Amino acid sequence: MTTLVPPSTGPATAGPVEGLPSSAGSGRAAAAGRSGRARTRRRPDPVALATVPFLAFVAVFLLWPTVAVVAGAVTDEAGVLDATTLVRAVSGPYRSVFTNSLVLAGSTAVVGGVLGLALALAVRGLRRPAWLRPAVDAWCSVASQLGGVPLAFAFVALLGTQGVLTKALAALGLDLMGSGFSLSSLTGLAVVYLYFQVPLMFLVAAPAVAGLRESWSEAATLMGAGRLRYWWSVAAPVLAPSTLGGMLLLFVNAFSAYATAYVLDSSGQLVPLQIRFVLQGNVITGEQDLGYALVTWTLVVLLAGLALMAALQRRAARWARA
Amino acid sequence: MFLAAVGLFFALPQLAMARFAFQNVPVVHLDLSTLGTGWSVARLGEALAEPGLWEAARTSAVLATLAVLLNLVLLLPLAVLAEVRAPWLRPVLTGVTLLPWVVPPIALVVGVAATFRPLAPWFLSSPLSLVPFYALWAMPFTYRALDAGLRAVGARTLVEAARSLGASWPTTFRRVVAPATSASVVAACGLTAALVLGEFAFASLLLKDTLPTYLVVYQRSAPQAGMALALAVMVLTALALGGVVHLLRRRGLGVTTSGI
Repeated sequence: MTTLVPPSTGPATAGPVEGLPSSAGSGRAAAAGRSGRARTRRRPDPVALATVPFLAFVAVFLLWPTVAVVAGAVTDEAGVLDATTLVRAVSGPYRSVFTNSLVLAGSTAVVGGVLGLALALAVRGLRRPAWLRPAVDAWCSVASQLGGVPLAFAFVALLGTQGVLTKALAALGLDLMGSGFSLSSLTGLAVVYLYFQVPLMFLVAAPAVAGLRESWSEAATLMGAGRLRYWWSVAAPVLAPSTLGGMLLLFVNAFSAYATAYVLDSSGQLVPLQIRFVLQGNVITGEQDLGYALVTWTLVVLLAGLALMAALQRRAARWARA
Repeated sequence: MFLAAVGLFFALPQLAMARFAFQNVPVVHLDLSTLGTGWSVARLGEALAEPGLWEAARTSAVLATLAVLLNLVLLLPLAVLAEVRAPWLRPVLTGVTLLPWVVPPIALVVGVAATFRPLAPWFLSSPLSLVPFYALWAMPFTYRALDAGLRAVGARTLVEAARSLGASWPTTFRRVVAPATSASVVAACGLTAALVLGEFAFASLLLKDTLPTYLVVYQRSAPQAGMALALAVMVLTALALGGVVHLLRRRGLGVTTSGI
């Protein structure tokens, strides 16, 4: 599809040389600007006409509130730079809240990532029931977005104290509650989160897995490599960037999930729930700044995760193009 | 074997939910021996008879519609321009539409309360104040769907052909761009609808009665009927998303519902 695009403007050339796209882009922009000026003095440039409202919209409804919160977190009442609230938001009781969130997001990212990748690999070779692959594909697209209130209810029905599975296991002599499992514990939440994490990972990993050429495996075999050697030296390096990138996406996804945790965890020992507590109790002076600081740390975590992910995806894209 | 286990993990919660919702058996007796008894959809009827539900559902529907419209007004011209005239716009758009991933609802709501409440209290008191924010979170999906749709038909060539044959911009838009992006627009609608049906943090913290917040409140007062309603909402969301996936697949568009 991309081969039809003329090389001077197409995205196909935008990757390999970092300096090229900007110069090519500005060249085109200048050309567009020249023709626009030559043609019309009264009619404004359509690009500007469409870009300005969009950027203004994002600035007013996304950037302004975000910047206000970050600014509130790093200054005191007098508006002087002051990091005490930022420090307070990650110390004392709040430190364990961050640890909980990081552990939950990290563990579901790793477990969900491995399971999602395994699912993608398992489905790859399947030809026989012709309906199976499209069905898995479609279901993963749906399930990756199914988090939220109804999902939490579903797991209460399955694994709550009166859950169907809880009682079925009890009938078999397995006491789930007695072994310390509860949906509001980190383990319980992790199980629920996996319901949308595994499909999300499948969506991210499937294109990379599909990019593993049959000919690479054949070439490796011809050169005398065993199965293990092929997976270790060929497949793993190709899959690694998108797998790691996918895991980071899962991490970000789990860290900011709110509704599921809200229904299941009444004690609120997670960062998003703690933000709500602080926000609702903001009549006490100074507590508002604490909420801002919690949000700021959340943004730092998410931004770091996504920046890393973007970098990894650029690496992954190299193989997809080759 | 592995596939069967995964399938079981994905099917069991809904099946358990169905038992909770539709079996007229005290919850304590919901075990293997009562698997076949007392099935009825009466609870769902009970839940559907609540006037509060319809009010919340109407709010959610209005929010979804307006969010879709706002998104299309903002993004459709940009997506077309990025494809046809200004390719340098594309990385900018891809980057900006990723921002909602960085600022999740629970973080943005704090900022919104801090900035809009003192300056424009009338704005936050209306349930419609959620529209711009829902549009914001739907942007990653909408833009990627539109972009994929435009690329798949080679919109650049088509638009240039139409223009050189003498079509005016409005005609080009109506006869060339609109048909080319119709699948993407429908897909964006489905995704936005699913998103609005599921978004809880923002609505709950700004004290708005949308479908998800209503679900939580209602389930507390009527556990069984609440389960039935939640299952119905889940099926509805799944159908909306399933429709989107089907549509995208049929048109051969390589975008997923993950929004990246």
